[in-house]
Amino acid sequence: MAELRTQEQQLLSALESLGGTATVEQLIQACGFPDSAVMRNALTLQEKNFLSIHAKIQNIIKLTTEGEQYAKDGLPERNLILATAQLGGAADLKKAAEKAELESQFIQIALGWVIRKKWAIYTPQNNTLSITETLLHQTTIPEGCDETLLKHLQDKHQVTQEDLSPELQQATEQLKKRKLLTVEPKTTRTLQITSEGKKASTENKIAPQEITQLTPELIITGKWHTAKLQKYNIEAPVAKTWPGKKHPYLQFLDEVRAKLVQLGFKEMTGTSVETSFFNFDALYVPQDHPAREPSDIYYVKDPQCGELTKHSKSLEHVKETHENGWKTGSTGWGYKYSLQAAQRLLLRGHGTCLSARTLEAGNLEVPSKHFSIARVYRPEITDKTHLSEFNQVEGIIIDQNLNLKDLLGVLGKFAMEIAGADKIRFKPDYFPFTEPSVELSAYKEGCGWIEFGGSGIFRPEVTLPLGVKEPVIAWGLGVDRLFMMRAGIDDIRMIFSQDLGWLRKKQVT
Amino acid sequence: MPTIDVDYPELERLLNVKLNGDMAKLDDILANIKGEVKAFNEKECTVSIEMKDTNRPDLWSVEGLTRALQGYLNQTKGVKQYAVGKSALEVKVNAQLYNIRPYICCSIIKDVHLSDNIIKGIMHLQDKLDQTNGRNRQKTSIGIYNLDLIKPPIEYTAVKPAEVSFVPLGFTEKMSLDEILERHPKGVEYGHIVKKNPLYPMLFDGEGKVLSFPPIINSNDLGKITEESRNLLVEVTGTLHKTVLNALNLVTLALIDRGGKAYSATIRYPEKSDYTEGTVVTPNFDNKRFQLSVEDTNRLLGLKLSAKEISDLLLTAGLGVEKVAGDCLTVLVPCYRVDVMHQVDIIEDVAIAYGYNNIEPMWRELPTTGRAKPDQRFIDIARELLVGLGYQETLNTTLSNQESLFKKMNTEPAKIIELSNPKIVTMTCLRNWLLPSLMEFLSINQSVEFPQKIFELGKITLPDETKETQTRDEDWLAAVTTHPNANFSEIKSALDSFMGNFGVEWQIKETAHPSFIDGRVGKVIVGGIEVGVVGEVNPLVLEAWKLENPVASFELNFQQILERKLNKNKT
Repeated sequence: MAELRTQEQQLLSALESLGGTATVEQLIQACGFPDSAVMRNALTLQEKNFLSIHAKIQNIIKLTTEGEQYAKDGLPERNLILATAQLGGAADLKKAAEKAELESQFIQIALGWVIRKKWAIYTPQNNTLSITETLLHQTTIPEGCDETLLKHLQDKHQVTQEDLSPELQQATEQLKKRKLLTVEPKTTRTLQITSEGKKASTENKIAPQEITQLTPELIITGKWHTAKLQKYNIEAPVAKTWPGKKHPYLQFLDEVRAKLVQLGFKEMTGTSVETSFFNFDALYVPQDHPAREPSDIYYVKDPQCGELTKHSKSLEHVKETHENGWKTGSTGWGYKYSLQAAQRLLLRGHGTCLSARTLEAGNLEVPSKHFSIARVYRPEITDKTHLSEFNQVEGIIIDQNLNLKDLLGVLGKFAMEIAGADKIRFKPDYFPFTEPSVELSAYKEGCGWIEFGGSGIFRPEVTLPLGVKEPVIAWGLGVDRLFMMRAGIDDIRMIFSQDLGWLRKKQVT
Repeated sequence: MPTIDVDYPELERLLNVKLNGDMAKLDDILANIKGEVKAFNEKECTVSIEMKDTNRPDLWSVEGLTRALQGYLNQTKGVKQYAVGKSALEVKVNAQLYNIRPYICCSIIKDVHLSDNIIKGIMHLQDKLDQTNGRNRQKTSIGIYNLDLIKPPIEYTAVKPAEVSFVPLGFTEKMSLDEILERHPKGVEYGHIVKKNPLYPMLFDGEGKVLSFPPIINSNDLGKITEESRNLLVEVTGTLHKTVLNALNLVTLALIDRGGKAYSATIRYPEKSDYTEGTVVTPNFDNKRFQLSVEDTNRLLGLKLSAKEISDLLLTAGLGVEKVAGDCLTVLVPCYRVDVMHQVDIIEDVAIAYGYNNIEPMWRELPTTGRAKPDQRFIDIARELLVGLGYQETLNTTLSNQESLFKKMNTEPAKIIELSNPKIVTMTCLRNWLLPSLMEFLSINQSVEFPQKIFELGKITLPDETKETQTRDEDWLAAVTTHPNANFSEIKSALDSFMGNFGVEWQIKETAHPSFIDGRVGKVIVGGIEVGVVGEVNPLVLEAWKLENPVASFELNFQQILERKLNKNKT
C-alpha cells in the first residue's frame, strides 16, 4: 500500500467524514487548506487511485433586477387579475390596469399572461376583462410554478437548477424567456472516495511524520534535522499573482519625455481649458475657420469667457494682423476681428497653444527648445482610429537664422532617436500657423512607413504679434501611432483601455 | 480637410500623363499640392483625394488641381492666362442688402459643351466651395443658370417673405419664401442664414422672373442646367467681397478650362448709401504682385539659390515673375491663389518646386539644457511607490459625466466645468475628482481575478475665478483595493506606507463623506490642511457601480502634498 503524506491523509479523512463525496469548497472548509493545496493533494490521491475527481457543470439561477422587482411586488398579471377581482370580477382593461398601478408599457404583457394562464377572458370590442368562470368560484387565485420559483429565489438569492423539482425547472425556462432571471453555467469539482481510499483512510496508515511547511519553530529548535520535509508535486498549478505596474502608454510617454530632455528640450505645461485666443487666434487661425465650429472643438458652457487683460498688447497686435497684416508684411485675413470670440473658453484642441503661450510670455531665451505632452480634446465619435481625448507631444525651437534645413534635421533626429527609424521621407504639409510646412514619414524594417510627425516654421503672422523676431520651428510627433506599433495594437482605444486583464498580461516591449 | 472625388480618366486626360492606375505615382505627383489619394473606386473609376491645405479652394476641382500641377509636370510653366470678354450684362444692387447679404459677383460663360461628368464635377466644386470656403453658404453661395432664358438686366434686391413666390428647383408647385424655408430641404437646412433679417435677398431678371432666392435655392425654370445648356450665368452672393469674387473666379476658370468663353458683368452698387463700391466689373483675373527677396528666400530655406534659379522654381510652381531687380523679384500670383498672404507662402512654393527631399537635413547643436516639468520627478516617485505597493497604474479620460461624478458616488452636485457642445452622454464635463474614474474601471472588470488594486495619478479640473481660464488643473492621486476582505486597515496601511516613504507626515481625523461608510472614513491632514480622504466605500456607491466586493480607497490632492513637502524641505 502506498504511503500517505500528512496532508493527503487529512484530506482523505475529511472526505470520508463528509460521506465519501464532497466539493472542493466543502473540503477547503473541512481541512482549512487553501484551494491550491486541496487540488494538489487531490491530484496525487487520484494518481494513487484513492479518490476520483469529477467536474460537473451546474446551472446557477439568479434573479435579474426586473425579476427582483416582481418577486417583491408580484407579477403584473397577478396584480391585474386582483384588481379585476376587486372591481367586481369584470372591468374595463384601462380601469383595471390603473387600479393595479401598472405602467402603460406593461399592460399588454400583463394582459397576454392573464389570458395565457386562463385567469380571465378579454373582449376587445368593449375592452373588457372578465375573470373566468372557474376562478370566480375560488377564493384565491392559485399560485403558479413561476410565482413559487420567484419567491424561492427571493429567499435564497441563487439556486442550482438541477436541485429544483421538474415543475420548477420548467418554470425556470419560462421566466428566463421573460428575462426575469439568468441561468449561468458553473463548474463544480467533486471528489469521491474509492473503496481503496476508504480502506487507506480507516487503516490510518500514516507515513512517518512529514513536514509540509518549514516553520521558524522547526528551524530555531533544530527539529528540522530529524523531520522529513515532504516532497511537493512541483508541476501542480499555482494561484496567479499580478504585479503592480506602470501603465504601458504612460511609461512610453516617460521614455519620450526622457529623450526630449536629453535632446535639450524644456517641458511646458498649461491648463486643459484655454481661451480661443491662444488655441486659435495667436496661431493665425481666422475666427470663422471650420476648425472652430462646435463640431470640431469643445466649448465650455459656463463661464464662457476667459480673462485676457494681461495680454492686451499681444491681443491688439493679433487683431491687427488678422484684419490687415499689421507690421508682419502679410495681407492679413481681411475680416473684422472680434475680441469677444478671442475670450471664448474651450478645451484645448492641440498642444500648440502651449507654444503660443511660451512665445508670448516675454522672457524667451534665444536659443531655446521647449516641448509639451498635453492632453487635448476633440468632439470625435470614438472608433478604431479616433479618440475624443488624447495626448499630443509637440514643441518649438527658437534661434537666430533657423531654416528649413534645420527643420528637416530636427525631424530626422526625432525619427532616429524616438522612433528608431531606418529611413525618412519628407512631404509638403499644411498647418494654418506654419510656412513652410513638412510632413515626416519614418520607415522601420518590418513596420513599413508611418506618418510620424508634422512640422514647420511659424508664420511671421504668428511670431511677430507675440513679440518674437527670431524664426521658430514648431514640431509635433505622432507618438500614438508609434506606441500602437510597438505595443502591437491596431485600435487606438486600447491606449485608454480599462481592461485590467490586458494591463496585467501586457508584456514589456 | 476637404476631400474631393474626381473622375479618374478625366484626371489623366487633363493631367496629360498615363499612370495606368498607379496610385503611388499619383500620390507622388499630388504631394506637390499637398494632396493625398484616400481611395480609388475601381467600379466607378473615381479617385478620392484629400487636400490638406484648407486655404486653397482652387484645388477642389479636377480642373483646378490639374491647373496647379502643370508646372510640376513640365507642361505649362508660369501663370496660365485666362481671357474675359466684355458683355453688356448689368446687375443692380438694392441698398437694403447692405446689412443682409451685401455682395454679388457674376460672369457669363458661352459655348460650353457639358457632359454629365462635367456637370457633376462643377456641382461638386460648387458644393465644396459653398460648404468650406463659403462656411455652409453663410459667407458665400453659388448659383448657375441657363443664360438663354434670362432677360437682362438682373436685379439683386431685398423682399418681404410674403411678397414673392416661385417654383423652387426640384419642385413643381409655386411656394412662398416662408413655405420654402419650411418645406424645401434646402430651406430647412439653410433657412437660419436669412431668418435673422425681416427682408430676404432675391435675384430677378429684367422681366421680374425669379432667378433664385440666395443662398437657399434656384428657381426651377431658370436655375437648372443640363447637357443641352450652352450659355450660362454664374452668380455668387455673400458677406465678404474678396471671398465672393474668389468663388466666382474659381467656377468661371473651371468652365473656361472646359472650353467655355467667359464674359464679364457690371455690378452697380447704389450711390448715396452705405455702399462705397460704386461700379465693379466681375470676374477679375488680375494677378496679384508680391515682392520677394532672394536673401530672405535663402535665409528661410538654408539654400544658396540665385535669382534665376528662384525664378525657374517659381514658374514650376505656377507663379510668374514680372521683373528681377538685384535682390528683389516681383512675383505674379494668379488671382485664385488666395492662400498667398505673405512672402513666406511664395518661399514655400520655391522649396516644394526644389523638392524637400533634395534639401539636406541639418541637426544644429544648440547650447540648451533640457528639463522635465518641475513636478515630474515627484510624480514618477509617487507612481513607483504605488506600483511597489502592488497597485496597477491606470489611465482614464478626464472627460466624464455628472451621473458618474455625483449621483453614482452618492454626493451632492458641485460646480464643475461642463461642455456646451458634448458629443456623447458619457462625456459632458471634466472630472473634479478621480475616484469615479477608478470605480468605473472596477465596474468593467468584475470578471477579472481578485484582488484588484489600481491607482491613477492624473489631472482634475476645478472652476477658479482668479485664473485667466477661470479654471485650474491639479494633479491628484487615488488608489483603490477590492476583494472579499478589502477594508479600512488595508488601505490606511497602504496610505501610511506611501506617505512615510514620500516623506510626508500626516494625521487622520474622523469625518463624514457620503461616498464612504460612516465611522470608516477619515480626512487626511498634512501640515494642518485637509488634503484628501481615506475610507471604505459606501455600499450604496458599490451598488450604483454594480460592484460585488468591498472597496477601500484613498484620494489625495497630490499637488498640495507636494507643495507641503517642498515647503518643509525649504525651511
